[in-house]
Amino acid sequence: MKRVLYAAGVALLLLGAHAELRAQSAPTPAMKASAIQVLMIQSDEIKLPADFQLSLYENLIQQLQKQGGFQHVYRDGDHNAAGITDLVVLHSTIRGFKKGSEMARNVTTVAGKTSIDVHCQFTDKDGKTILERDLNGKVQFFGGNLRATLDFAKKAAKLSHDNFAARPVS
Amino acid sequence: MVFRSMQTVTMAVLGIVGFTALPTVAQQPAAGTKVVQFMGLEGVKAKSSGRLTLEGGNLQFTGSNAKANVPLHSIEDVVTGNDSQRVFRGTIGTLTMFAPYGGGRFLSLFRSKVDTLSIQYRDAEGGLHGAIFTMATGKADALKKEMVAQGAHTSIPIQDDAGSSDTKPAAAKEKKP
Repeated sequence: MKRVLYAAGVALLLLGAHAELRAQSAPTPAMKASAIQVLMIQSDEIKLPADFQLSLYENLIQQLQKQGGFQHVYRDGDHNAAGITDLVVLHSTIRGFKKGSEMARNVTTVAGKTSIDVHCQFTDKDGKTILERDLNGKVQFFGGNLRATLDFAKKAAKLSHDNFAARPVS
Repeated sequence: MVFRSMQTVTMAVLGIVGFTALPTVAQQPAAGTKVVQFMGLEGVKAKSSGRLTLEGGNLQFTGSNAKANVPLHSIEDVVTGNDSQRVFRGTIGTLTMFAPYGGGRFLSLFRSKVDTLSIQYRDAEGGLHGAIFTMATGKADALKKEMVAQGAHTSIPIQDDAGSSDTKPAAAKEKKP
């Protein structure tokens, strides 16, 4: 009986700690925005091939449009974004890049992974940081190297949607 | 009799000339560079094939069921590169992965080299776009030269760009067969 009580106590303690941890790691209640602007991917420190940079940018815009939740997804430099009051701006900076090999992936299954590490910073219209996250895009088995950019774009679009989308997914 | 033989000779000559002339007309290459639009062009489906031409200060993509124009003066950057792709790709390529006794792995060793051409341009609203094309090896540099001559901008000078993929850091290099 004593053992059962002890085990129950430990379980309760663990549950409590888990709940507290979840509350701490939950994202801060961010602002809801009707529009998002995606800026061109910056890769000053790490030399990223032009096709990867453009693919990251285009996939990001496509995935944000596909996910829904924003009335508008503006591109870098779009004049129409200037008039939006509740605009969120997404800045992405490359932190790491490893170009693998599609052939090595196909032949060995375990080698040849392509991965891209991107630091995402969401700011409001005035440039104040609202949310920062490090995301990763990778391709391990099937597909060309550029598929890693699609993996990143899906993650970034989901993060944007979960934190800032004003409308639920239609 | 002489008239008849002359007529025969004339017919024969015309026949030979016609026979040799016809194939040259038929084999005349269509204008532009044959490309695959990997992604980015507005209104064109990703991975659609077509031809890139430079007409009237525009970069024109003509596909089987889509057409797109990009004014050359709006192109802010043109960069060429190179890559390789599987010879057996698409649905057949995926199906070969399930071939027995490592047949799919063996077939994936067969790869063809391609040139890539990436462009950055702005639309009428000022929005930045990016488009990526792949084409037969050796074609991208010539196309870039032509584009720059007609008003497109580039961040990498043409003479340096040819070996741009070789200047990448060691980690970024793809090992090729």
